[in-house]
Amino acid sequence: MRSRRACLSLVWFLLFCSLSIGPARADEIAERARKLHFSSIVLDTHDDTTQRFFSKDFDIAKRNADGSIDIPRMREGGMNAIFFSIWIDGRIMGPPAIQKALDQIDAVHENVRRNSKDMMFCRTADDVRRAHAQGKIAALIGVEGGHMIGNDIRMVRIFGDLGVRYMTLSHFYNDEWADSSTDKPAHNGLTDYGKDIVREMNRQGIMVDISHVSDKTFYDALEVSKAPLMASHSSCRALCDHVRDMSDDMIKALAAKGGVIQINYEVSFIDQAYKDASDKLSGGVVAIFDQLKKECGDDEGCMGKKMNEMHDKAVADGKLPHVSWERIIDHIDHAVKLVGADHVGLGSDFDGASMPEGMEDASKLPKITEALMRRGYKDADIRKILGGNLLRVMEQNEKVSRELQAQ
Amino acid sequence: MISVLTRVATVALGGLLVTSGLAGDNISENARKLHFSSIVVDTHDDTTQLMLDTKFDLGARQPKGSIDIPRMREGGLGAIFFSIWIPSKVTGPTAVQKALQQIDAVREQVREHPKDLVLATSAEQIRKAHKNGKIAALMGVEGGHMINSDLGVLRKYAALGVRYMTLTHSGNDEWADSSTDKAVHGGLTDFGKNVVREMNRLGVMVDISHVSDKTFYDALEVSWAPLLASHSSCRAICDAPRNMSDQMMKDLAAKGGVIQINYHVGFLSQEFRNAEKADPKINEAIAEEVAKRCGSDGNEGCMLIEGDRITREYVAKGVLPRVEYTKIIEHIDHAVRVAGIDHVGLGSDFDGANMPYGMEDASMLAKITEALLKRGYSASDVKKVLGENTLRLMTDVERVSREVNANK
Repeated sequence: MRSRRACLSLVWFLLFCSLSIGPARADEIAERARKLHFSSIVLDTHDDTTQRFFSKDFDIAKRNADGSIDIPRMREGGMNAIFFSIWIDGRIMGPPAIQKALDQIDAVHENVRRNSKDMMFCRTADDVRRAHAQGKIAALIGVEGGHMIGNDIRMVRIFGDLGVRYMTLSHFYNDEWADSSTDKPAHNGLTDYGKDIVREMNRQGIMVDISHVSDKTFYDALEVSKAPLMASHSSCRALCDHVRDMSDDMIKALAAKGGVIQINYEVSFIDQAYKDASDKLSGGVVAIFDQLKKECGDDEGCMGKKMNEMHDKAVADGKLPHVSWERIIDHIDHAVKLVGADHVGLGSDFDGASMPEGMEDASKLPKITEALMRRGYKDADIRKILGGNLLRVMEQNEKVSRELQAQ
Repeated sequence: MISVLTRVATVALGGLLVTSGLAGDNISENARKLHFSSIVVDTHDDTTQLMLDTKFDLGARQPKGSIDIPRMREGGLGAIFFSIWIPSKVTGPTAVQKALQQIDAVREQVREHPKDLVLATSAEQIRKAHKNGKIAALMGVEGGHMINSDLGVLRKYAALGVRYMTLTHSGNDEWADSSTDKAVHGGLTDFGKNVVREMNRLGVMVDISHVSDKTFYDALEVSWAPLLASHSSCRAICDAPRNMSDQMMKDLAAKGGVIQINYHVGFLSQEFRNAEKADPKINEAIAEEVAKRCGSDGNEGCMLIEGDRITREYVAKGVLPRVEYTKIIEHIDHAVRVAGIDHVGLGSDFDGANMPYGMEDASMLAKITEALLKRGYSASDVKKVLGENTLRLMTDVERVSREVNANK
């Protein structure tokens, strides 16, 4: 008995020594990063998981073999606040767009309700903090594309009342009142009605999301909005010259008014070599999107899946280059160097884009914290990037909303 | 026998009240005290269509129509269900958008008048509003066609505060037969039954006004919660398919439901109904005149109110019979006798129907209290009819909702 116990102790001792001796400094950082990461609010402002709710094969409570988001993997990656994206093709407009958006909002509500032990539906920054304190994942909603209001300002309020907390002014195509970055300009930015919509969003406390919009729409929104803007899922043009990304000037102008850019992990937005090769191979994101649309029809969940299959195959065939997850860190770092740590956050585009290697799903998120720590970021700044900045922007939007409603 | 005598007496009284002029005059101190300390609930008002005009202000006394904050205050109306309504022929996603526009219009009026109005979604919130001296604003969707056969849409209406849905309007929808259309589903379809169960889970009252008798009986069987007839009167007095037979009222009451008496003259008075039916040209002419005043582009708010005004012109000319507000009391009294005092309430149809003389608008409501007291109703029975029955029904529906959710 005794000898066996002594023997076991020796094993534990050796194991402990090997752990603590090894590359001591690196592991110390890893451990510190882990602690920091798992005690932080890690908030992702853009996930296309919503479309998967309509598939019988998908259950957010279970670990799924494909895709990037489910409760087990969010738990594993310490991701505790998520904006589910409400999205339909930008060419669906009018009343059908409204009803489809409503159906997706409902799908989020219903999934949260069915998983109320793990998730809490949140409308405010305070709600998110409360969810975190209770060990629950905060679920929020963003509408990705102004076409879903059916050109009806009343729907802005209806969406707001249902808990929508940001709206992207356009998707890939212009809508009735805002130009997109990936369409031919038709409105020269925001129309007068578009400006009214931005003001109404301010009044309702719905964040104005300028990802996807044309540069002119961005500057128009920046001028009109009384609350700071957010780019829910955009990266830096200086590192990857894509219209969906933001120029240094845009990022500076956004930050000067208190806004935040949430870095998108999509490979063609973060890696120039990949973007160039992809443009040559398939004609860019919109062309790929159209191809997927042909294959999937109105099944939005199918599109994300097919997109990943196409990407994986092209990389395996050597037609597209490998992209490492560390490019995400480069984009964060670039934006931080440009405007400081108060104006950068995370907007993965999980389940709606092609992820770089090493950031396949939500479980990998602690790597970001560790990488930032290794680059010498202070703990407080890392917390801001992980979620603090976005919560601040939400609070400012809430404050502006209260002020406008009091008038 | 008794009813004949009381009817004669009340008609005489009604005439007296009307000729005396100002609303609320000649209400006894006793009735006044009782009325203004009670929670008066009206489960059906079509004022919402007027709110779509962004210039409409519910806070200002309106020269037309029956409902605004000043007149609700004057008549002691403490809780109002604004009806979300579009014609049955508007279907699909367009119906969804139009319903949402009306829901938004109601919510906007509440936001614009925080001192007078508060959005309520439960019986408790109505009581709280009453305590705080505010009018509780609620919403009911008048017609299942507005969910476009989509339970997700139904759930979003509930999330936005809708607390009852009428299973159909004047036409059948995709899953339920209406009382004023040719039966095609044989009552509720299987999907229609699912709609009812989902309404139970959500705590949205199942409203059986407008539906066919078979749909009513199907809903009565399927629903786990008591039913509401948000604005229907008694067939025994006025034989309209929109009204309820004595047997239906008994069956509704046996399961805890409430019939909310509709003040529309065509549902109150057999004589009026007969006159309308005898000469269909009258209604055609009224419709023509309405179109002239409101245009034909579906300005429903204008159409509803002008319809009422033009009908009154026909009454003045003697083409249609004059119906007094005391007819409302007769229907209440009949329903109380048939279904019991716990199962009758008020569902005026203000701003959406032709009102009887003496009940032109919400300011006149205390007359109902006065008339019921005169008929020998006790104070507590009057309170039940004015609103307590509806509040009890809401509480029951809320309890069923909690139970269903707990079991899921």
